[in-house]
Amino acid sequence: MKKHTLLAGLGVAASVALVATGCSASGGSDDGSTEVTFLTHWGPDQVTMLEDAAAAFTEENPDITVKVQAVPFANLLSTLRTQGASADGPTIAGIYDAWLPELARDGLAAEAPSDVAKDVTDNWPSGVVNAATQEGALYGIPNEVDLYQLNYNTALFEEAGIAAPPATWDELLTAADAITATGDGRQGIGFITSWNSGAVHPFLSLLASNGGSFLNEAGDAADLESPEALETAELYQQLVDAGATNPAMSGANANTTGPYLDNFVNGKTGMIVMANWWESSLKDAMGDDFANVATAPIPVGPSGDVSSSISYSWDTIVNGNASDEKQAAAWKFLSWLNGPDSGENGSSAMGDMLISMGILPSRLSDVEAHAEALGSDFLSSYVAAMETATPFPTVLGASAGADALQRQIEALLNGQVDAATAMKTATADVDAALTAAR
Amino acid sequence: MNLTSTTGGGPISGLPRPRRRRTDKAHRGITAAIFLSPTVLIIGLFTVVPMIMTIVISFHRWSMFTPITEMDFVGLDNYARLLSDSARVQAIANTGVYVLLSVVITVPLAFLIAMLLYFPRLRGRNIVRVILFATYVIPTIAIVIIWSNIYAPGYGPLSAMIQAIGITPPGWLSDPSWALVSLVIFNVWQMLGYYVILLVAGLTQIPEELYEAAKVDGAGIVRQTRSITIPMLSGSLVFVVLMTIINSIQVFDPIYLLTQGGPAGSTNVVSFEIQRSAFQYGQAGDASALAVSLFMLIVLVGVVLNAISKARKR
Repeated sequence: MKKHTLLAGLGVAASVALVATGCSASGGSDDGSTEVTFLTHWGPDQVTMLEDAAAAFTEENPDITVKVQAVPFANLLSTLRTQGASADGPTIAGIYDAWLPELARDGLAAEAPSDVAKDVTDNWPSGVVNAATQEGALYGIPNEVDLYQLNYNTALFEEAGIAAPPATWDELLTAADAITATGDGRQGIGFITSWNSGAVHPFLSLLASNGGSFLNEAGDAADLESPEALETAELYQQLVDAGATNPAMSGANANTTGPYLDNFVNGKTGMIVMANWWESSLKDAMGDDFANVATAPIPVGPSGDVSSSISYSWDTIVNGNASDEKQAAAWKFLSWLNGPDSGENGSSAMGDMLISMGILPSRLSDVEAHAEALGSDFLSSYVAAMETATPFPTVLGASAGADALQRQIEALLNGQVDAATAMKTATADVDAALTAAR
Repeated sequence: MNLTSTTGGGPISGLPRPRRRRTDKAHRGITAAIFLSPTVLIIGLFTVVPMIMTIVISFHRWSMFTPITEMDFVGLDNYARLLSDSARVQAIANTGVYVLLSVVITVPLAFLIAMLLYFPRLRGRNIVRVILFATYVIPTIAIVIIWSNIYAPGYGPLSAMIQAIGITPPGWLSDPSWALVSLVIFNVWQMLGYYVILLVAGLTQIPEELYEAAKVDGAGIVRQTRSITIPMLSGSLVFVVLMTIINSIQVFDPIYLLTQGGPAGSTNVVSFEIQRSAFQYGQAGDASALAVSLFMLIVLVGVVLNAISKARKR
């Protein structure tokens, strides 16, 4: 019996020791240095660049080391959900701004210190700063900004006898019909299906270019039964009815692989509405034929005055559950990483990394430092669109709302519902999603 | 003394049972408890506790970014939303269709193949069994890579074959009318070998003499199948039906990897909706309510099938 008691006692002691070790959240190691973890969805090349930047920072700040943890985009949010609540979870995370309301509400995103907040307010465009702000407080340092423009194949335009990219919806319909009429299994314009952002952002960009919006001004209800939204849905329906868009050719996922990419790069799709970061995928897939790809502003709808793309940004946040020491080290690193002295020729190290992926940096001095790269035929249209862009709403439930809208856009593209029904159902579902999230 | 004497030196009735026997029984109980305790502890920790926690969470509103102690009790709200949210209603309906199609296609096909692999004394049938079973063993992610190309519109082999005979192929994964059916076909292909092996194992338990006697009585293959094989195999068939239903209800991997629930929500099933609610929207209470409902559904199916099986035996 004594032996049993002894064994049981040892077991309990071992368990307590293990739990205590596992739950410990000390800010630093025995040698006085602090290690912070940076969670990102970037690919291997950019991870290497980030690790190099971190090593350069550690050289200047030997008491802080930065470890990079990379996961695929699709797993980024779930990784944050499973690890973020712990003090030992990732100290820094790159996040899509639509996730920020929930992260800020739940205390996972720490409020930026006043000096960081001032730096961001002074050196970033106000729209991007607003997207990183919740209830008046800044929660992260913005890095990339993404917009949508019309990409078109000049060779197909030439073959169809179209001289210029469409600037209005009427011209868009004409061009799409003309390209489809050239035959060979072509579609005039392709709209992404099976990927939420890919389906929703182009629709909302056309809606914004028609004077409409996704949500009302307060951000607590859908605005998809407006005449502008109905017109946008009717544009889709017209294209479907005319056979100028074929959903079977437009399946995609977050990596933009699949038929959507294949059909555009193989000259089967005349036009697409896509984001700037897609440039590298197009270059890789098209090789020399990339010279046939041109970019133009989103065509303006009958109720719109100006072309307006949906924009969204990414922020780097600091884990509010991390120790004070780790949080301080993380903000120090992020200020350096996004500052004008860490990169080449006045750019931040972050700016250099973003440009290497064909992504627009958002810090004003980065835009200036990379003016030449951003002035390329492909990117210049995106850069110009920043002025009139419509930010995707960063409110609780917006992501679930976007999924609800995606379902109706796809049903519309597949001819399952008409424009009015799609917008009516989307309104009800988006409202339900917003309510459930609050 | 008020003792009742007995003959033969046996125990005296009316006296307390011997102390030694009770002590033995107690020892046996303790020994059993000691041997079982690791298993009970592990099952308790990793099965029962999470199940209880899931049920508890399903009555709360909880964001997974916050500690579990910060849940808000919401009663049956999460369950009420199951039938008021159109995406969830569609997910439940899609799950039902997926399960039904899987059972209707897989079970008869598995039975037929099992018969073909068991009865004719053909060379190489064991190799066929291994090949069939291989689809079950290979990780889904590896199979999905192949099937995403098989289903590719236009240039995929399936579309090319159909085009070759003059028929316009559907958008296998991009057409809402076809996407769920395409996933069922994938599921049948992946799971068929497993069920065939189960049924072949069941067939080996049927005494050969029954078939010989039936043959003597002039019964043909159809009669033998109807009167001997199916009744004698009913236990295995019920198990295969149950496993098909359970596996189909729980389908997740191919949907996560191939369609993400689309297009137009046509492949959104309950397990994918659970993942989306929990990990995309952070609504752990909603996700738990869905998970509990799914579990109850599986239990219900098991109970019904068990009852049918018992009724048949009677």
